[in-house]
Amino acid sequence: MKENAGPAATPLLHVDRVTVRFGGLVAVSELDLDVPEGSIVSLIGPNGAGKTTAFNCVSGIYTPSSGSVRFRGKRLERAFTPGTILRALAVGLLTGLLFAAAAVDVDRLWMAVVKRGMITGEPFTVSGAMERLRGYFRSELAIDQMAGKWRVVSADGSDVLAIKRDLGEAKLVRDALQAKVTARRTGPGTVPDATDLNQRDDGAAPLVALPPVKEEVLDRLAGGKSRIRWRGWLGLLAGLLLGTAGTLAVWQRGRRSPHVVARAGISRTFQNIRLFSSMSVLENVLVGLDRTIPGGVFSMLLRTPKNRRDEAEARRQAVAALEFVGLSGDANRIAGELPYGDQRRLEIARALATGAKLILLDEPAAGMNPSEAGDLAGLVERIRDRGVTVLLIEHHMNVVMRVSDRIAVLDHGTKIAEGTPAEVRRDEKVIEAYLGGEG
Amino acid sequence: MATNQAPKTSSPPASPDGPWGFLAQRWELVTLAVLAVAPLVIPALGGALGGQVTNLFIYCILALALNVMVGYTGLVHLGIASFFGIGAYVLAILTVPMYPFQIGFLAAAVIAVLVTAGTGLALGAPTLRLRGDYLAIVTLGFGEVVKVTLRNLEQITGGMKGLNPVPPPGAGVTLAGIDLGKEFAIDPRWFYYLALLSLAGVVLGMRRLENSRLGRALVAVREDELAAQAMGISATRVKLAAFAMSSAVAGLAGCLYAASLSTTADPNAYDFNRSIMVLCAVILGGLGSIPGTLLGVAILVGFDTVLAPWADSWIQQMNVNPKGLSYLSFSGWRLAIFGVALVLVMRYRPEGLIPSRRLAAELHEGGSGS
Repeated sequence: MKENAGPAATPLLHVDRVTVRFGGLVAVSELDLDVPEGSIVSLIGPNGAGKTTAFNCVSGIYTPSSGSVRFRGKRLERAFTPGTILRALAVGLLTGLLFAAAAVDVDRLWMAVVKRGMITGEPFTVSGAMERLRGYFRSELAIDQMAGKWRVVSADGSDVLAIKRDLGEAKLVRDALQAKVTARRTGPGTVPDATDLNQRDDGAAPLVALPPVKEEVLDRLAGGKSRIRWRGWLGLLAGLLLGTAGTLAVWQRGRRSPHVVARAGISRTFQNIRLFSSMSVLENVLVGLDRTIPGGVFSMLLRTPKNRRDEAEARRQAVAALEFVGLSGDANRIAGELPYGDQRRLEIARALATGAKLILLDEPAAGMNPSEAGDLAGLVERIRDRGVTVLLIEHHMNVVMRVSDRIAVLDHGTKIAEGTPAEVRRDEKVIEAYLGGEG
Repeated sequence: MATNQAPKTSSPPASPDGPWGFLAQRWELVTLAVLAVAPLVIPALGGALGGQVTNLFIYCILALALNVMVGYTGLVHLGIASFFGIGAYVLAILTVPMYPFQIGFLAAAVIAVLVTAGTGLALGAPTLRLRGDYLAIVTLGFGEVVKVTLRNLEQITGGMKGLNPVPPPGAGVTLAGIDLGKEFAIDPRWFYYLALLSLAGVVLGMRRLENSRLGRALVAVREDELAAQAMGISATRVKLAAFAMSSAVAGLAGCLYAASLSTTADPNAYDFNRSIMVLCAVILGGLGSIPGTLLGVAILVGFDTVLAPWADSWIQQMNVNPKGLSYLSFSGWRLAIFGVALVLVMRYRPEGLIPSRRLAAELHEGGSGS
């Protein structure tokens, strides 16, 4: 935990000309702020000066309108990796397949591939199914059964071309008609003629009489191949584009979400306490420890020995964190029932439990009496001594002056002064901002 | 089951005092033991009543699935029946003799659960950024979409006829000289035990979920999404996990349902009414509370499918209603009693009959708290 670097070349947190606008209102304007590692930096200023806005910017709740926030020299964003693209493409492919299934009429596809195989009574094989699948996309004629009779039908089952009592006869008719349809697609000559198929080797009479089929029907069947493929590809493409673009858009929007910032090593407390008030005190800290507990859903469901050890270890750490802030006696109380000051300390314990290197404390001493505030100042110093850097917003001046290494003063969204406590105390602009200086 | 209880240190302090402490802490084991012995003692469970109670267990599983979403994670889900339906239909497609797959019940159930979990993810991923009412509308719409799709894909799902016959579990499997398929078909107690076993497994899983990292994350996201995110929890991921788990368990319930009826029934069996019924059961019993959810189902569904028919036949036997007037039959008043009961519970016990420790604290915050 001790990581007291000397004169750090890059500060732990580097806020560079950050501006936050809400509509026409400028909440923070061109804020520069450096927080060196191992220090306590305070952000003070009158109410509405933009301190919490600056905090929200650092912790990823707001995205600055301009400027950048760097933590250890890196921007606090999820990195754009090949995995991002791959994931988006995978989602896109899935959407594409869904769209394609809808476009080629999955109901008829199913009938053609799965049910027709059962109807003709052949044993189901994967290769047979694949053959029928190809047949569907080639719009080939197929054989179906209805009311005990065999029917020669179009692949999607919407056209019935012939009805035969005998399966063998139906097959012959199918092949003959199929040859006619294929001839229409590719031109005669490349495929056996219908009459070729329908003749015996010894040149005797045709095996079956071909039923009369309208020319338009044959034309339609010949065109069906390109139509169904066209629909399938179009659906696939549309789904692919939509799915990929959508995934990337969502990724972009969540790029700077608070949990990304928290995982980078910045944790915070809130001005209006945001505990999980119906959970127990211990559980609150355990939520803070969430990321340090390894294991997924299955080890949890099976409750493997390793999972038990990990949970027990997390509990030990949580208890240690509670001891650190002085709440170990209240571990099993409901967080919402704690007195106000204890809730603030619990928030600090929870934030520390995340293993953060930088902790943002938003008015931790609000509503405390001088003696409690003094205790809190001691706690802040002990946090620093653990090797955790602190950025503090506080109104209790004796706390600020006692603990801070550096102080930055904000007024109306702009930084009006920065320096050691002694420097800031003497600064005329600061005095003016606090006491009013119109006169 | 018995050996795998959470270690004492990890369970929050109940009050183990007094002779009833054991029962209060280990209510699952006691209930399980009673239910396991019941069919051997009560012969009626070998008849129609057995089927009704099996149905009740299946509803319990479904309600526990919904509880993951609504209770733990606080996401309003009005379409749980659609996942129930998807589970039932996938199982049926994989097992009915009409289709060439005809794989065993266990394998089919595993696939069905995976499919429903995947469907849950697919529904969740684009809609998780919606909050409260909007998510409720999406899930409501999804439920209708699934119902209509099941109805319209006639070649696949058999349309309004549904898919049947779904063979009983263990069809064709002979174990120690017992033809399991036949036994399942003849004696409803086999299904009773299968459903009870599944329910016990789901309850155990839920118990572990509650005391695990993921379970805490779910509750944290429900209570304060922003604060949870500030602790490094990815709210998206947690909600997706909730969606997937809830859908998977609902799918399991669907599998059992289709197998026990030996048909998927028609798609209207998976409509909005069923979703709402289950939601009411969860709310009545206590959001986020396992015993509460089970009690809620036992009361609501038990009332509807066990008590109401029984009362009807009793009234008929007493011959007080020779003309068959609907206001003199018990079922005629079913929904009215339902409504009144719900209103009363919401008025006097908004946290449910057996509230979860967490939610009770949330609802009474500021009132009796601090």
